[in-house]
Amino acid sequence: MDSTKHFNVLIIGAGPAGVGAAVTLSKRGIKSIAIIERSDKIGGIPSFYKKKKGGVRTFVRWSRGGIPVFGEEYAQWLEKQLLKSKVRIELQSQVLNIDAKKKILTLVNPKEGEVNYSADAIVMACGSREETPAERGWLAGSRPVRVFFTKQLLSLLDDNHLLPMNNPLIIGSDLIGYAAAAKLKAAGASDAVIVDNCNRPKCSIFERLYFRMWSNPKYQGLKSKSIEITGNKAASGVRLNGKNIPCDGIVICGELIPNSELALIGNIKVELPSRKPVVTEDYQLSESGWFAAGNILGGFHGAEWCYFNGRRVARAVVNYLSESS
Amino acid sequence: MSVSGKLFYNWSDKDFDESLKFIDTEQLGDIPYDVTIIGAGVVGCALAYKLSMYKLRILLLDKNYDVGEATSKGNSAIVHTGFDAAVGTLESELITKASRHWPELAKKLKIPYEECGALLIAINDEQNSQLDKVYEKALNNGVTDVQQLSAEQALELEPQITKNVLRGILIPRESIADPFSTSIAYSEIALANGVDILFGVEVIGIENVDEKVKSLITNCGKKIDTRIIVNVAGLGSRKIADLYGGEPFDINPRRGQFLIFDKFSRSVINHILLPIPTEKTKGVLVIPTIFGNLIAGPSAEDFTNDDETVANTTIEQLQSLLNGASKLYPGLNEQPVIGTFSGVRCNCKQGSYWLRSNDGHRGIITVSGIRSTGFTSSPALAEFLISEMQEKLGLNLELNPAAVDSRSESSWPGWWKRPYSNNELVKESPEFGRVICYCEQISHGEIIQHLDSPLKPRTLDAIKRRTRAQMGRCQGFDCMVNVAEIISNQCNIPLKKITKRGPGSEIISTNTSQY
Repeated sequence: MDSTKHFNVLIIGAGPAGVGAAVTLSKRGIKSIAIIERSDKIGGIPSFYKKKKGGVRTFVRWSRGGIPVFGEEYAQWLEKQLLKSKVRIELQSQVLNIDAKKKILTLVNPKEGEVNYSADAIVMACGSREETPAERGWLAGSRPVRVFFTKQLLSLLDDNHLLPMNNPLIIGSDLIGYAAAAKLKAAGASDAVIVDNCNRPKCSIFERLYFRMWSNPKYQGLKSKSIEITGNKAASGVRLNGKNIPCDGIVICGELIPNSELALIGNIKVELPSRKPVVTEDYQLSESGWFAAGNILGGFHGAEWCYFNGRRVARAVVNYLSESS
Repeated sequence: MSVSGKLFYNWSDKDFDESLKFIDTEQLGDIPYDVTIIGAGVVGCALAYKLSMYKLRILLLDKNYDVGEATSKGNSAIVHTGFDAAVGTLESELITKASRHWPELAKKLKIPYEECGALLIAINDEQNSQLDKVYEKALNNGVTDVQQLSAEQALELEPQITKNVLRGILIPRESIADPFSTSIAYSEIALANGVDILFGVEVIGIENVDEKVKSLITNCGKKIDTRIIVNVAGLGSRKIADLYGGEPFDINPRRGQFLIFDKFSRSVINHILLPIPTEKTKGVLVIPTIFGNLIAGPSAEDFTNDDETVANTTIEQLQSLLNGASKLYPGLNEQPVIGTFSGVRCNCKQGSYWLRSNDGHRGIITVSGIRSTGFTSSPALAEFLISEMQEKLGLNLELNPAAVDSRSESSWPGWWKRPYSNNELVKESPEFGRVICYCEQISHGEIIQHLDSPLKPRTLDAIKRRTRAQMGRCQGFDCMVNVAEIISNQCNIPLKKITKRGPGSEIISTNTSQY
């Protein structure tokens, strides 16, 4: 193994929060910064929402009264910000292990193989993912093919021009679920049926009205204990409230859960089973010199919130570095 | 490993690899098989492996598109010592024998294996009163290395277990292993030794059943000639037995649901935690897995043999499993569940290990009722079946000096040996440094490597069982499409035709319009 490479600050994750932190740290005069990203592109979740035929403008720039843009456009803007700064970018780099006390990351990438990076401060901006059926706790039944997460659906639609289903059923009624219904309709599927474990959809009425431009999904709330997926080889429907709702594909949407496993590996304090890392007011984790930014903090935040949160965390990191030197 | 057996898939799609397609019986040669094994579960694969040491023409076939695709893929993955088996039964004899062979077998077959030991604990007076009986039974089963523990000793071994523990028994050789690698390893070696393997082929009729050479009628219309038929079709064994009219038996599938906990939980519990077993089951266990997780289960729910929901999971049962398991390890309630699964035990109403030689007709063996212990007993059961064939079916056995009995070092699964830790390898083949399954940390290179492995796996689930990509906490959220794309690119199959487990399970509905 090569000897350890040292940086002032390491940032794990090149989504909105990670880029926000990196760019701000760079502007504040921090010399050596590296941002480590496991996928092959910058932008995180927004980058999955492509500006393509049938594309749907979602998520970002709602909060500040701006018009919705395509996620991809926001990701490109993030990338531009990052490339302007002097931050070193390491794509396709998976952190395997961390030593929290020594602030060392062991990572692997195609260029270097397994290698150690260390830093004076480390920001975890690892984002979140959608909860699995088991994590939701009310979703069971069979295990057929064509039960997708939103990320998988978007990748099939936009990266591969494949419409996986005609009659979609969406499990999860927040913004992500309604956006997925719109996206599917725009791609040629019929209006989706959306189901969730609550009486009324989690997505706000304003957001639902916005997505009416593309589709008008039917909503069914769960009154009994569980939703059962049916279908032997391929998904054929769900059973809910004693009724069968047929479909030829299912998308499991929303209900974000933090990607905090690196913190857990390093014995940094994380609340279980919510997976939220324990942070102080200035976003410090339980080990000195470790910070968290963006959706890893838990909850459901849009790209802009994460970007600005990343900037805020960067300021906390600058304070920490000046205090500790 | 040089491959000398033939391997074909009954996969008629025009985009499926021509060289792997089963088109005509002529591809198999015109000499009848000496032995045809119907069912490539762990027992069928073990039998193919053991038989491949002899000069015989052998066929292993399965209706699924990989080995171990049915009952053998959902179990506790425990290699039992047989300490609590019913004394004096064939099941007990085979488990006890097999468990002593397992450490060496795992080394030879490159199956990840760990002797973690099991801790049986009594948490109330009633259970406490039964502990001595369990101890006696273990001794009677020849498992003489069990140790009685006081509450203090039990807590010293596993500090996180319930403080209600009254007494315990340590069974040091209870072990855990990779159940997926086991069927794969057996069948890869069998293939190397000349066993032919057919996937996607279902036997739907048998002709000339009283002749020396019988003909199997298959779902693809091809007849296959064979002298001996071994019916190890698990849940399907009843249907196969109907084709030749063997002695009546009934299968009542018994479902076992499990919860899978994330890897952080594994560091707190090191032993398999067992409650006091009841008549029907061993109860709800907490089991470390070789993959680094904890699992809790199984349930025991009886089904009729044609119920399509037999492999489903249900919220009620999963909740009751969590309640049961947290009686042994209370901290389990806080541990995140990442997945659930159901295993289906091939439970025979007339008794477990239902074995009939010359069942109705000379040359046919029925093997049914192999419940969860089949994983452990498979090597010993295979040997037992071979001796039956020799003694009762007149099978001549002549050792094949060219046969191998192990897999090469490079066969260790990547998740066990971590190829990217070898920086030389990454320099040479950078795709081993490109991690695509973030949760289980599996590289692009490992997927490619397995696509080229002896059984030529072509489905998402077959790749999942070999590499563990999609098996982690995100359950394929991040990598499913990537894995499908790699299969598509490497094997020249259009992405829309990539399947979860063979034809009919395409990731893209076949009647959607081009988008």
